[in-house]
Amino acid sequence: MELDYILNSSIAILKGFKVTYGLFFSTLIFSLPLGLLVALARISRYRILQVVTGTYIWLLRGTPLLLQVFFVYFGLPALGLTLNNMTAAILAFALNYAAYFAEIFRSGIQSINKGQYESADVLGLTYAQTMRRKIIPQMVKRVLPPVSNEVITLVKDTALVFGIGLLDVLRTAQIIVTRDFDITAFIIAAVFYLLNTAILTFIFRKLEQRYSYYTT
Amino acid sequence: MSILKAHNISKKFKNLEVLKGIDLEVNKGEVIAIIGPSGSGKSTLLRCLIRLETIDRGSIEIDGQPMVTEASDGHSVYASEQNIRVLRKKMGMVFQNFNLFPHKSVLENIIEAPIIVNGLSREEAEAIADQLLQKVGLAEKRHSYPCELSGGQQQRVAIARALAMNPDIMLFDEPTSALDPELTGEVLRVIKNLAEEHMTMLVVTHEMGFAKEVANRVIFMDNGVIIEEGTPEQIFDRTQHPRTKAFLGQILRS
Ligand SMILES: Nc1ncnc2c1ncn2[C@@H]1O[C@H](COP(=O)(O)OP(=O)(O)O)[C@@H](O)[C@H]1O
Ligand SMILES: [Mg+2]
Repeated sequence: MELDYILNSSIAILKGFKVTYGLFFSTLIFSLPLGLLVALARISRYRILQVVTGTYIWLLRGTPLLLQVFFVYFGLPALGLTLNNMTAAILAFALNYAAYFAEIFRSGIQSINKGQYESADVLGLTYAQTMRRKIIPQMVKRVLPPVSNEVITLVKDTALVFGIGLLDVLRTAQIIVTRDFDITAFIIAAVFYLLNTAILTFIFRKLEQRYSYYTT
Repeated sequence: MSILKAHNISKKFKNLEVLKGIDLEVNKGEVIAIIGPSGSGKSTLLRCLIRLETIDRGSIEIDGQPMVTEASDGHSVYASEQNIRVLRKKMGMVFQNFNLFPHKSVLENIIEAPIIVNGLSREEAEAIADQLLQKVGLAEKRHSYPCELSGGQQQRVAIARALAMNPDIMLFDEPTSALDPELTGEVLRVIKNLAEEHMTMLVVTHEMGFAKEVANRVIFMDNGVIIEEGTPEQIFDRTQHPRTKAFLGQILRS
């Protein structure tokens, strides 16, 4: 009976996986490259790019993520752009996480010794070649710990989308709890988040090991 | 034949004038040692010659081609980026702190620029790299990473990396200053071998024994100017200049 209930609740909650994982992976796929672009623009020598990206980062880090989700979902239609709730969530999350990743990448890039640029420069590498082949690969190793932090935060931030009516893992669990007056579903949801965090922690530990072949 | 000619170059950092009208002509095959107290502008001079820093006044010619010329008002005007690229390819530089690429193996450190800048095939580049590794005595370190090497070995890789671009002139900025004393010999030996092959070199160094033995010409700099230049004998044994004397006296005492 008890086991049956857990099983049935779990199956119901599984439906929430689609939203949670969909948002999680879409956010990473868009925000990591966008974050890198923003970081490169932020450190470029063009003042206009510095100002634009500086403002972008300030706005996106300076307001609540949920507010940004609301803005995209409820606010953009007023400007003529109506998105379904999943697309709106992905857009808001990707823009928000890109701002955080941009700052992580920027500090990673700026932590690389000036001598690396100089030796690449005297060997005749262009700025783009230097960034792509020398600086960014070394940056990746350095930013793995803070990126891992953000990615783990993202797993849990996905729960914010209940605000625009998406049925993610937590929202599904909440519906079951309200229906059955039984908090088992919450526990199942907690186990789900913990398992994901454990997997991500494992993946990032492997990545760090993979980059441990050199030290600077 | 002159391979590098700098005329009246001046360089300021903010209000600090670091080079105050330097004239320098380097002939093919010459080995020039640049000595002088810390802060006298030796590194800045090398960095200006290879355009890691830009000069404010004066002109620089590489192999007869202007890299930067002096306008009528005295200010320096640089050639086009494209022309500068061509001229800079004639120069190689070795830094005090080696600046190897830590995420790349010794071999990759050496072959990357020849492949992506000079357009060599991987096989050609590897053949050159192996030859150079042999020359600097590190053939067996081909697949090592910089962090697995001693400072002396890293610096020898850095020399091989610069040589792989087949430069006409090599600039060394205190190549042994970051090394433990017992490791300087192996690096100096490599530079000495290059001198014997008539590689044109400008070497900023505090190794007076090395300068005396290897250089054709010694330049003594202080406070942004060339105080004196001459053969090693003229500078080390017969200088009449009080500042050169004071500097050499201090070095010998320490
Ligand atoms: N990038 C820089 N910005 C400001 N001052 C600098 C810079 N590089 C060098 N200097 C100053 O220029 C002077 C000469 O430095 P440097 O060329 O490194 O001397 P040396 O190599 O002979 O020790 C020093 O006073 C140094 O502090
Ligand atoms: Mg110096």
